[in-house]
Amino acid sequence: MRRLLPKSLLGQMLLAVALALLVAQTLSGFLRFRAEETRRENGLINALAFQLISDPRVDYRTGETDRDNRRQERRRLRIERALQSPVHDGEAPDAERLERLREVLTEQGAQIEQLIVLTRPVAEDDYIMRGLDRIRNEPRFNNRDGWDPQGDMLLAGLKREGQDQWLVARVPLPSVDPGRYVGIVVQTLLIYIILVGGLALLLRRITRPLAALRNRMETFAATRETTGQLEPSGPDDTRRLIVVHNAMEARIAALLGEKDVMLGAIGHDLKTPLAALRVRIESVEDDSERAKMAATIEDITNSLDDILSLARVGRPSDPLERTELSALVASVVEEYEDMGENVELADTQRIALRLRSTWLRRALRNLIGNALRYGEKAVVSVEKTGGEAVIRIEDNGPGIAQDQIADMLEPFTRGEASRNRETGGAGLGLTLARAIAEQHGGTLTLANRLSASGDVIGLVAQIRLPLD
Amino acid sequence: MSEQAEIRILLVDDEASLREPLAEYLSRQGFSVEQAADAAKARSLLLDGKPDLVLLDIMMPGEDGLSLCRHLIEAKQLPVIFLSAKGEATDRIVGLEIGADDYVVKPFEPRELVARIRSVLRRASKQAVPVEADAQYEFEGWKLDPLKRRLTDPEGTIIPISSAEFRLLCAFLDHPRQVLDRDRLLDMVQGREAHLFDRAVDNQVSRLRRKIEEDSRDPKLIQTVWGGGYRLAADVKRCAADEV
Repeated sequence: MRRLLPKSLLGQMLLAVALALLVAQTLSGFLRFRAEETRRENGLINALAFQLISDPRVDYRTGETDRDNRRQERRRLRIERALQSPVHDGEAPDAERLERLREVLTEQGAQIEQLIVLTRPVAEDDYIMRGLDRIRNEPRFNNRDGWDPQGDMLLAGLKREGQDQWLVARVPLPSVDPGRYVGIVVQTLLIYIILVGGLALLLRRITRPLAALRNRMETFAATRETTGQLEPSGPDDTRRLIVVHNAMEARIAALLGEKDVMLGAIGHDLKTPLAALRVRIESVEDDSERAKMAATIEDITNSLDDILSLARVGRPSDPLERTELSALVASVVEEYEDMGENVELADTQRIALRLRSTWLRRALRNLIGNALRYGEKAVVSVEKTGGEAVIRIEDNGPGIAQDQIADMLEPFTRGEASRNRETGGAGLGLTLARAIAEQHGGTLTLANRLSASGDVIGLVAQIRLPLD
Repeated sequence: MSEQAEIRILLVDDEASLREPLAEYLSRQGFSVEQAADAAKARSLLLDGKPDLVLLDIMMPGEDGLSLCRHLIEAKQLPVIFLSAKGEATDRIVGLEIGADDYVVKPFEPRELVARIRSVLRRASKQAVPVEADAQYEFEGWKLDPLKRRLTDPEGTIIPISSAEFRLLCAFLDHPRQVLDRDRLLDMVQGREAHLFDRAVDNQVSRLRRKIEEDSRDPKLIQTVWGGGYRLAADVKRCAADEV
């Protein structure tokens, strides 16, 4: 159920308003229907009361055709005087209407001895049927009241106090016309559609700039370029939001630009003296001393490279290129083989994906370097599982305590608490490898390898990259 | 090595702290070294005489190394090696595209620099009429861009190869359909990295086959010739590189 609910601002507001309107419209439609019913009912009762009170003397059966009476004649042809009660056998009085009629008559000062109200099919009423026959035969009568032989009628009989005659009044019951209710429903729906539609347009006007802003933010988050900024549009609040956002984008871009310039300068300013130092130690006579110095300089250089790379990893200058992953992994493994390191290339699969090879090589070097540093041997494999390419680097080292695995991916964390310099590196290797995996839309995970008996027999690092 | 005494190197770098010890080191290695702190000084030194090779810093005040490099290559046809603190792939490519013979990232190992200088000079002396550097090889739908060292398969997917594999492949592509024995291949493939000198050619060939053959146990492109060596079983043509 929850999944069916709209998530967007437009959808949620529209749903809320549509529901509220639906309730309001249904209620108002129902009230109008009720009022209509009451009005109709009152009309019927009043018509009966009017006939009984005004007590017209004219009866179409008498055939009187006085000029003075002609109009009355047409209108009131249905009052009947009878000596017997007009109730047929088996007919039940309509108690509700009887009470209402009694009220009206009493208000008008009628002395009621007996009153009867009932509904009856027109076809069963001899008086009206005879009247309808006359109407059919004599053109001077007409069926102005709309008597329908198939319909029903309402009949009221009144016997006043002290009289022996019954006055019998009749009105046709209007047949239930579905058209009238359709009218109410259509009207309600029409109002509903106009309101909701108008609101949808209005809401779209508000939410469209918001949607554009969201797209823009996604683009900026991905590229961090300030080109293609939004023009302020929409209601004033949105307009101001866009203006402020544009200013923020410009500020962020400027800060990132400054950072790049600064890092470039640091790189240049530190690498040149390092190069000078590296040249100068060539004059050191003691070979082993010189080798140690060279190793130290290399460590500093590597750390510097890691720092500079980490700062740049979110903003790579090189494009993604379709590259065969297993050949890339193989070429990194071969570098280590050529240096005499114990790295083995296990099963690989040819997988072509869009990647940045210089960055991915760096991540692989960091992971393989770690495996060799802590585990003496690295086994690298490449396979395609699900929608991902998975590069696994396994070692046979001591692994990592379970509670430290997450920390290992943070900057400047290394396996040993002592931070022993001899193992080298600034502790940025894994952080950088993870950032590179993320730069490619992938992930880096670390896990202990367990033997059948549950002992830790090494660590496995996995880079998972989404396939194209 | 008496002939090395005649090799003249022009070292252009604004950082005296690096330039001076490097000049000293190269002199000890038997080169004759002239120093220039900026492009203007370098240009005036060039008027006096032509060095055999120029070592050039990129980031310098005034005219930068890239601009001077263009002048050196176009007007003087001098071999140039860049020395730069910028180590990104794009920086290297820019340097090599301008026409420099090599690109060394600071800090570098001095011995490696000397090896690269010798390698560049060896190539310069061999190739009196150099093949256009930007001409790329094409064979069986594969392409190899020698400048970017980029190999692409017939579908356009980049197949990463190591520098040893690159040199091996170049050797085959320069001699298509010829039988190349192991000694000759080793001679052509010998690179500047010392550890590659003694790698067995067979090992490199099998690595290369894993990357470019449909089935590396049944090679179609690089065939083994019994008793002789290897042969590239494909026609090769060279044409201008694709714009990237």
